Amino acid sequence: MTRRKLALVAAACVAAAAAAVLALGTSPGHAKSNGPFKVAWIYVGPHNDGGWSQAHDEGRQYVQKMLGSKVQTTYKENIAVGAQLQQTVASLVSQGYKMIFGTSYGFFDKALAAKYPNVLFEQATGTDVAKNLAEYFGRAEDTVFLSGMAAGAAAKCNTIGYVVAYPIPEVIRHANAFALGAQVMHPGVKVRLVWTNSWFDPAKEKKAAQSLVAAGACVLGQNVDSPATGQYAESQHIPWVGYDSDASKFAPKSWLTASVYNWGLYYLRRVKAAMNGTWKPGFYYGTINDGFTKLAPYGPGVSAKAKAAIAKKEKQLENGSWYEFQGPLYDQSGKLRVKKGVRMQVLKGGTNSLYGMNWLVKGVIGSPKG
Amino acid sequence: MNNSLVVALIASGVAYGTPLLFGALGELLAERSGVLNLGVEGMMLVGAVMGFWTVQRVHGGSALALVLAIVVAAVAGTAMAAIHAFLVITLRASQIVSGLALTIFAGAAGLSSYLGNDLNLSGLPASHAFHPVFPNSMQSWPIVGPIVFGQNPLVYASWVCVIAVAFYLARTRPGLNLRAVGEAPGAADAMGIDVVKYRYAHTLAGGAFAGIAGATVTLAITPQWVSGITGGAGWIAIALVIFAFWRPELCLVGAYFFGAMQALAPELQARNISLGPTELWTNSLPYAATVIVLVVVSSRGARRRLGAPAALGVPYVREEA
Amino acid sequence: MRVTVERRLRQPRWLAVAVPAGSLVFAFGVAAIVLVATGHDPVSSYRQLFDAAFVSTGSLDQTLIAATPLAFTGLAAAAAFRMRIFNIGAEGQLYMGAITGAAAGLYLGGRGGPSAFVIAAMVVAGCAGGAAWASISGVFRAFFGTSEILTSLMLNYVAGYVLTYLIFQSESYWRQTKGFNATVFPTGKPLPSSAVWPGLTVHAQGGIVLPLGAGLAVLAAVVLWALYRRTRFGFEVQVLGDSAGAARYAGVRTRRKILAVMAISGAIAGLGGVSQDGDFRHALDGDPNGLQKQAYGYSGIVVAALGRYNPFAVVLIAFLIGGLDNAGNTLQGADFPSGLVGVIQGIILFSALGGELLVRHRVRVVRRASAVAAAPPAAAPEASP
Repeated sequence: MTRRKLALVAAACVAAAAAAVLALGTSPGHAKSNGPFKVAWIYVGPHNDGGWSQAHDEGRQYVQKMLGSKVQTTYKENIAVGAQLQQTVASLVSQGYKMIFGTSYGFFDKALAAKYPNVLFEQATGTDVAKNLAEYFGRAEDTVFLSGMAAGAAAKCNTIGYVVAYPIPEVIRHANAFALGAQVMHPGVKVRLVWTNSWFDPAKEKKAAQSLVAAGACVLGQNVDSPATGQYAESQHIPWVGYDSDASKFAPKSWLTASVYNWGLYYLRRVKAAMNGTWKPGFYYGTINDGFTKLAPYGPGVSAKAKAAIAKKEKQLENGSWYEFQGPLYDQSGKLRVKKGVRMQVLKGGTNSLYGMNWLVKGVIGSPKG
Repeated sequence: MNNSLVVALIASGVAYGTPLLFGALGELLAERSGVLNLGVEGMMLVGAVMGFWTVQRVHGGSALALVLAIVVAAVAGTAMAAIHAFLVITLRASQIVSGLALTIFAGAAGLSSYLGNDLNLSGLPASHAFHPVFPNSMQSWPIVGPIVFGQNPLVYASWVCVIAVAFYLARTRPGLNLRAVGEAPGAADAMGIDVVKYRYAHTLAGGAFAGIAGATVTLAITPQWVSGITGGAGWIAIALVIFAFWRPELCLVGAYFFGAMQALAPELQARNISLGPTELWTNSLPYAATVIVLVVVSSRGARRRLGAPAALGVPYVREEA
Repeated sequence: MRVTVERRLRQPRWLAVAVPAGSLVFAFGVAAIVLVATGHDPVSSYRQLFDAAFVSTGSLDQTLIAATPLAFTGLAAAAAFRMRIFNIGAEGQLYMGAITGAAAGLYLGGRGGPSAFVIAAMVVAGCAGGAAWASISGVFRAFFGTSEILTSLMLNYVAGYVLTYLIFQSESYWRQTKGFNATVFPTGKPLPSSAVWPGLTVHAQGGIVLPLGAGLAVLAAVVLWALYRRTRFGFEVQVLGDSAGAARYAGVRTRRKILAVMAISGAIAGLGGVSQDGDFRHALDGDPNGLQKQAYGYSGIVVAALGRYNPFAVVLIAFLIGGLDNAGNTLQGADFPSGLVGVIQGIILFSALGGELLVRHRVRVVRRASAVAAAPPAAAPEASP
């Protein structure tokens, strides 16, 4: 029965190999109490998507650079909300990570934070706060407003196309800010929306851009993450406002500007606080002043007049003398939604809050329901 | 540029349907030889990333870089198909599992993503891309302008491929032999046709087409690289082969039909035409329409089993003499 | 000298275990080469994989979470593929089961019923939802001969859009409309506490929770095995799968079988869907970046095929693949590109496939001189794609 013996030998080899791996392989094991502070980031998309996740990763790299060997950072990409997220967090915790940043809504909630009380969680764009769970986001709408001004100034016709993702308050308020900005420089201009129902889908975004141009748009803008809209704009020789990152490389002639996030400053502050024990939970809503958001460098198509107007408005936003979401604000049907002089709050005010806004301002064409 | 909705849809259908068409043609060849390859998405992505890599690295004229990129993409796709071919033809493994494994291996969370990462391909547009070749004046002609003259060279290449594949299948000796290989490999073998060689050749050809399909995405439609950029086109291509009853000319119809349906939602939105839960039904429309059309067509005097090659999916084992 | 590959007449039992084990070793060997070539330490990577899947605190918990839906979709695929009905639609049937199951849980749980009753109703509703969705493909296949591969695949996309619509694009019954969080981002209504599925906590490794769904999956495997191996129905299904011609000649009613098998397959997948609601998410998950990104339905097909459609093997392999998926999440990071995880998983699958050959066939080296009829004529080509 040589074959049987062969099989036994083979089985023994398998067992031996497995034992060797288990014995020799370094077990990730339990974290040592000293050693670098381990902090992780979880992304919903690829870390190099040229958009949302990449901006967060640049923030992570900034932290790594500034703190050097005192921290050990890592990231997990393409993590889906739900089971995969649970697994990822569980494995990070068991590998000794003490602080985790979740960069998409729905990653962390109170239940998860309660499950791992010794780990600090920070969630972007969310609302739950707990003893070890903080929220962070910021006034991108302010810089989106400014980028809308650039779009309005560059519009030679009366329609601007805006490619948007999901009909949720975050995107709706950005679309509104964009439209309000465009209307400042180009009164009466209309902003036409097409929803792609995806944060990142180059083909869909290009289709949306094509249909907007076919419907008469002469400037394109976006609240989605890929530069596909810009590439199309470049091929049609029309101006383009981006989002999330400086994507001027993708459309050198069409590029106007974009609202960009600088997550690194916030991340550095929070990691430092966690390391020296001064971390506290809370709801952070960054502004232009603290460097959370700014405009990307201008392209060739922004006139000196537009630049001056934008700079002026930016100053007014910074010193609080003016706010784009201050009444009177009318919705698409012409109804007055925010009274004159009243400023919309971040969380308070129901559908008149920034986080609850589910209506589009006058001059926007498209449905807030998608 | 105020095109009518129908013209805009057809033009979009042609443009966005081209990767589907290339993918379907390749899968059609493989399936005609009896090999089901569910790894089209993986092969497309590898072709996409390697084609993109080529244009980013090659120094020289646009035309040279692009042609080279297409060749590289085809080779990359073929390499992936070779894995599948070896497993299912020589090792007689399950074709379904092998194809799915190929998608996992090469797809959006696999080799293509790794290559994109390792070769630093994201964050920059393609240095060279396929653009429409006809002058603007011709592109503005009514109807034929956008639909025919406003397309990039890969679209025209796909038309040539459809004609070539149709001719090959219907009028050449190897093409007719292929039919025997797919329907009754035992009989074909007895006639002296090398079944194994045919299956290998056509599975590899399927990989080449899939690679070119992927390159169409990263070099023509959205000239950039990000992991998973083909967005499921490979799966649609597989479905299209069935939809087209394994005939190349119907692959073209199906691909453009599907592409046009996918472009319908943004076009309606942009024109502010709202028909109820627009998102839901315009998103679902391409898929539901494909099913409905197939059911209607197949129920009317369905010949045998839709024309699927009878030996599709079955490993060929030659009986010992 | 010639190498021939010939069918085995008998398949010794030890082979069925030795070969998968051997292919796993082979796979890890090839993957080790890849890892070294890309600058990673294979031994530590494998150790990490193993730990993350089975050993470290909370790992078995997470592996079970990953494995439970795979067991359902694997069984669903096995149920259909055994009869050569290629139901690629487990993905969509899972979504549909999640929808109908959540509806039952929300409605009955909200009206205040005993938990056991609510959960039982959810199970029934989930199975019904999945079965109904699968029956669309079943009807088209049975009565029009339309390929179930195409129809079930297309319906997956439709089901996904329906699921997203219910939570993201409408104020449907499933959508949470109360509370501030609900205005910020669309979420599903949380299930009432009587609709939350219980888990059995085993006190080991820091507490492993065995979800009810995992138990139901094992139960489903037993039922499926009994149905296919111990009933006339199952016998006819197997005959139809192995030889459709013989079955028809023997008077087996093909149409009914197709409808029944698709419905059974869909029901199991639907059960997987309602398990997602009850065991894990405690609400309907319509987020396109959530349940719909996990591809449980498609992975189930791989699981089923690796288990050669044997229900018990399918459950076991679902557990292993679940561990692999779980571990893959651990492995990826800043120093380990996520693409490599897919490469390793693919290599493992390819090796397992290649190993299959050795189970069913024998490789012999035949000397030229005695090359005449070395083996009895092979049986009909094995028909198991």
